[in-house]
Amino acid sequence: GRGRGRVRLNVGGRVFQTTATTLAAAGRDTMLGAMLDASWNAAAAGDEADYFIDRDPACFAVLLDLLRTGGLHVPPHIPDAVLCREALYYGLLDRVRAARWDDFDGDRLRLAASVPGRAPGDGTAVRPAPDGGCCVAHGGAVRVYNWMLEERRPVYLDHAPVNDAAYLDASTLLVAARERPGRRDGGVAAFSALTGEMRHRFRVAHDRQVRSFTPGALAFDQECSIFASCKGRLNEYGIGVWDGTTGEQTGFFYEPPGCALGDADKLQWLDGTKTLMAATMFPRADSSFISLLDFRDKNVVWSWCDVGTPASLEDKHAVHAIAMEDGRSICVINQSRSKLMSRKKVHAEETCYPKLATHAGQLFASTNDAISVFTGPDHALTSTLRGSDGGAICDFSIGGDRLFALHNEKNVFDVWETPPPPII
Amino acid sequence: MNPQRKRIPKIEPFKHRVEVDPKFFDKSWKKLDDAIREIYNHNASGLSFEELYRTAYNMVLHKHGGRLYDKLAENLKGHLREMGKLVEAAQGGLFLEELQRRWADHIKALQMIRDILMYMDRTFIPSSKKTPVFEHGLELWRDIVVRSPKIHGRLVDTLLELIHRERMGEMINRGLMRNTTKMLMELGSSVYQDDFERPFLEVSASFYSGESQQCIERCDCGEYLKNAEKRLAEESERVSLYMDAKTADKIANVVDKEMLSIHMQRLFLMENSGLVNMLINDKHEDLTRMYDLFKRVPDGHSTIRSLMASHVKETGKILVTDPERLRDPVDFVQRLLNEKDKYDEIVSVSFSNDKTFQNALNASFEHFINLNNRSPEFISLYVDDKLRKGVKGAANEEDIETVLDKVMMLFRYLQEKDVFEKYYKQHLAKRLLSGKTSSDEAERNMLVKLKTECGYQFTSKLESMFTDLKTSQDTMQSFYANLSGDSDGPTISVQILTTGSWPTQPCATCNLPPEILGVSELFRAHYLGTHNGRRLTWQTNMGNADIKATFGDRKHELNVSTYQMCVLMLFNSTDTLTYKEIEQNTAIPPVDLKRCLQSLACVKGKNVLRKEPMSKDISDSDAFHFNDKFSSKLVKVKIGTVVAQKESEPEKQETRHRVEEDRKPQIEAAIVRIMKSRRVLDHNSIVTEVTKQLQARFLPNPVVIKKRIESLIEREFLERDKVDRKLYRYLA
Repeated sequence: GRGRGRVRLNVGGRVFQTTATTLAAAGRDTMLGAMLDASWNAAAAGDEADYFIDRDPACFAVLLDLLRTGGLHVPPHIPDAVLCREALYYGLLDRVRAARWDDFDGDRLRLAASVPGRAPGDGTAVRPAPDGGCCVAHGGAVRVYNWMLEERRPVYLDHAPVNDAAYLDASTLLVAARERPGRRDGGVAAFSALTGEMRHRFRVAHDRQVRSFTPGALAFDQECSIFASCKGRLNEYGIGVWDGTTGEQTGFFYEPPGCALGDADKLQWLDGTKTLMAATMFPRADSSFISLLDFRDKNVVWSWCDVGTPASLEDKHAVHAIAMEDGRSICVINQSRSKLMSRKKVHAEETCYPKLATHAGQLFASTNDAISVFTGPDHALTSTLRGSDGGAICDFSIGGDRLFALHNEKNVFDVWETPPPPII
Repeated sequence: MNPQRKRIPKIEPFKHRVEVDPKFFDKSWKKLDDAIREIYNHNASGLSFEELYRTAYNMVLHKHGGRLYDKLAENLKGHLREMGKLVEAAQGGLFLEELQRRWADHIKALQMIRDILMYMDRTFIPSSKKTPVFEHGLELWRDIVVRSPKIHGRLVDTLLELIHRERMGEMINRGLMRNTTKMLMELGSSVYQDDFERPFLEVSASFYSGESQQCIERCDCGEYLKNAEKRLAEESERVSLYMDAKTADKIANVVDKEMLSIHMQRLFLMENSGLVNMLINDKHEDLTRMYDLFKRVPDGHSTIRSLMASHVKETGKILVTDPERLRDPVDFVQRLLNEKDKYDEIVSVSFSNDKTFQNALNASFEHFINLNNRSPEFISLYVDDKLRKGVKGAANEEDIETVLDKVMMLFRYLQEKDVFEKYYKQHLAKRLLSGKTSSDEAERNMLVKLKTECGYQFTSKLESMFTDLKTSQDTMQSFYANLSGDSDGPTISVQILTTGSWPTQPCATCNLPPEILGVSELFRAHYLGTHNGRRLTWQTNMGNADIKATFGDRKHELNVSTYQMCVLMLFNSTDTLTYKEIEQNTAIPPVDLKRCLQSLACVKGKNVLRKEPMSKDISDSDAFHFNDKFSSKLVKVKIGTVVAQKESEPEKQETRHRVEEDRKPQIEAAIVRIMKSRRVLDHNSIVTEVTKQLQARFLPNPVVIKKRIESLIEREFLERDKVDRKLYRYLA
C-alpha cells in the first residue's frame, strides 16, 4: 500500500510521522527498536502503524533528527541534562555521545568545557575514563565525572593523600593513596566509579607477611595485570604486580641497587617489548632515572640516568618521561623552558612541571598554561592549546577521545574534544 | 459533638521528597508480572510495549532496580519449573521435541521480557554488576530445566542413542538434533562441552574401538582404509549438520586414534594387502588414501616413508646384485629407470609430491645403486646405446632429452662419478671415431647436463674431443686441397686426437699396406709442415676402411677395420696364408689379430675368408683362404669386429686401476688445499674434510687417503708433529 513502512508516533501529544527504516537506525536493542519489533506487534494489522509514547516531544524531535541525519542539533531551550535523560530513556545515549565529537585529533581540538573544581588548587592528577568521563585526584578525594561531565559520588579516602588514579574499566577506578604517618592506611584499592564504594584492596606481602606500603604510580598491561611502584616501611622498595581479575598479588620486582623503582612516579606498559617503563623523576628524586623492566626474568633491560649530564643548570633535570608509541624510544622533557614559573614557586610548594602524553602518533607537552601538539615523524609543532585562565597546567591526560587538562590555580579542568566534521 | 481542639502547631521537618504512592512498587510489579504470564501463555497481542517499558523505567528510576531484578528472577523460576514438569512428562521420542518446543517458548518470552526491562539492563545492571536479564534467563533454564535430575541424564542419553542409531545406518531427525545442540551451545560453550561433547567423544571412542577391532579381522588393508575414510567423512558431516564446528577436530582425533593410530603397524604390515603390496601393485588410489588418512596420525607419514624406503632398498638391492641382470647393461639401467619412474609416480600421484618422501626415495636409490660398483659403467653404456642408435620408436630430440634427463637422475645417485667419467670418455670416443653418433645435438646436450651437474673440470676433456674432430675436418680439407691431381690411390681420412684428451692406449703400430703407407706419409709431411714441434702416432687399432673386393664375378664393397684391411690386403697377392704369416706381415697384436680374423672368417654371411680347420676359435696353426664363394645380397657389406661391448674382467680391472691412479693426485691436491689453510690438523679431521671435498666426484677410501698423506710426508709437503704424532703440519 501507499503508507507501507510509514510510522506515526504520538509523543506527548505531538504527532511525528516517520518511517520504520529511520527508527530501525536506532537498533534493535533500543526502546524504539523493540517497540517496532514484530514480537510486540502480533495484533497490529494494516499498513500504517500507530504508537503513543508518554515522553517530552521537544527532546524526541532532536533525537528523531539524530536518527534521520546522524547529526545532533540541540535548541538552546533544551538543557543538556534533559536531553541526555531522554536519550537514556530511548537507549540512544551512545549515539548522542558519538554525534557530539569525532575521533581524537590533536590538531582539531576544541575547548568543549571548563569544569570548575571545589577544592583549592592542589589537584594531583586528572585521568580519563574509557567512555569519555574522567576523574580528578585532589588531596584525599577522587572526584569522578561521567562523560556528560556530571559529577558522580566521589571516592573519599579519609584524608589519605592520593598519589595516582586510573580506570581499570569504565566502572572500576584504581586509586593509589599515600600512607599517613602513624597509620597503616596507604595502598592501592579498586572503587566503583559509579557509586564510589570500595571493591577491593590490593595487598603486598613480603615473606608471606602482609605489609603496609605507599604506592606511587599505577599502570596496566594487556593481560590485566596491575603494576604499582611501592615504598615499604622496611626498605621493601620496588614494583608490585597484581592480577586485575582476582586482585591477588602475583609478583614483586625488588629494587636492585642503583635503580630507584619504589619511588617511580610514572609507570608505562610497553606491549611491543613486554616491558614496563618505570621513571623516577626530579624533583621526587635528586636526579631522574628511567628503566625498562622485564618481569618474566626480573631483569632491568635498559636504564638511563641524568646524573652524568652536564649539571651547569640545576634546573635542567628531566622532569617527565613517556615511551613513544613505536615502543623504541622514550621522550623526556626538562624544566628549563618553564623557568618563568619561578615566580609561582613562592606561592605553592608544588610547581607545575611540564608533562608529556602521546596519542595516535602525536606528541603532547604541557608547559605553563598551554599544551603543544607535535605531529609527524619529525614531531613538528602543529598546534598549541590554550584554555581557561586557570593558571599553569599541573597535569593532563588523553583518553576516550578527549583531552583533560587540570589547571593549578583556580582548580578547573578543561575538556578538549574534536568536533564532528562540517557537513559541507 | 466533639469540639475540635485547637492543636498547637508543631514544627515538622520538611519532607523534601513527596512520597510517591507506597504501593507504587507492588502495583507496578503486578503489571509486569501479569504481562510476563501473558507472554508465556502466547497471549501477548494485547500488551502495550510502551506502557510496560515505561513502568519498568519508572521502577528503576525510583531506585527499585534491585527489587525488580529479584522479583523477575523469582517469576522466571516459577515459569521454568512449570515448563520442566511438562518436559519431564513427555514420553519416549517426544521428549526432545517437547524440550525443543519449550526452549523456543522460553527464548521468545525472554526476548520480550528483555525488551521491557531494557532500561534496567542499561543502567542498573552495569553498576550493580549483575547478570543481564537475557543471560540470567538462560542460566535459569540451564539450572532448572536442562540440569534438573530428571532431564539431564535423559537428554544426554537420548542424543547419544540417536547418534548411535545414525552410525548404524538409521535415519534420524537431524533438525531436532541440531536445535538441541544449538540450545546447549547457546547456554554457553561449557554447557555444550560438559553436557554433550565430552560424553559424545567418550562414547565415540568406544564405538570406534569396537568397530576397528572387528573390521581389522575381516578386511584387507585397502578395505579397512576405505571404511576409515568413510567414517571420518561421516563424522565430519555429522559435525557440520548438528554440532559445534569446534567438535570437528576433536571427533576426528578420536577416529584417527581408534581406527588408525592404534592399528597402524598392523595395517601397514598386512600380508598381501599392506603398504608393500600397494607399492608393488601400483595401487595409487589406496596409497593416496593411506597418505591422506595418516597425515594427522603421529608418526604416520614417517612410518610410511621408512617402510617405503626399506622396500625400495630391498628390491633395488636384488635388482643390482642379480647376476642375471648384469648380462645386459642396457636392460639393467632400463630397469633402474623403470623403478625410478614407478616410484616417482607414486610419490607425485599418491604422496602429493611430499618433499620428505622424495628425499627418502632418493636416499634409497643412492643406497642401492652404489651397491654395485659397475653401475657407473652400465649407466654410461646405456647412454651409449641411446646416443648410438637413437631412442627406439621415436628418435626425436625431445625423447632423447627426456631419456638423458632420467639418466642424469641416476647419475646424481652415483658416488663414483669419476668412474662414470672414465667410461663415458671411452664410449664417447668410440662413438665419435666410428661416426656412429646419432645426433651431435644430443651429444652436446648430454655434455651440458654433465657440466651443469659436475662443473667445467668434469667435461673439459670431453669437450676437447669434439674440438679435435672439428679441427681434423679442417685439416683434411687443407690436406686434399694441397694434394691436387693424383686421385688414383686410396683416400684417407685422418682424425687428429690430442694426447691426453682421449682414452688412447699406446699401441704398437701395425704394418700398413704400402698403398696406405704412401698416402699416410704424405699426410704426416703435410701436417708436420703446418704444425711445428708435434708428434704424430697412428692409432691403427681404431680406424676403419672401405675396400672394394671381387669374389668370382661379384663385386662388393667391404667396410672393415684398419686391422682387417691390413689382413685383407695381404690376400691381394696370394689366396692362402697361415696365421703366423699374417701375424708376421701385419704385426698386429695377437689378441686383436685373433678378434679380427674371427670376424672375417667365422661370422656367417660375412665370411670373406675361409679358415682351416673350421672352428670358432683361432689358433696359431690355422690357415686362411680367400673365400671366392662369398656372396651377399648387399653390395656394401659391413664386417663387424667381434668386440665385447661390456668390458671383460681384465679390462675392468684395468679401468679400475686407472681410476684409482687418477684419484691419487686429486686426493693429494685436496689434502694440500686443506692443510694449506689449516696448517695443523689431526688425521681424522683430514679424512673427513677430504671426503667432504671430493664427494661430488667419488668417495675416497680412508686407507688411500692415509697412503697419500704418507707420500706427501715423504715428499716433505707435510710432517708429523714432534710431540703429538696424530697431528700433521703443513710445510710451506
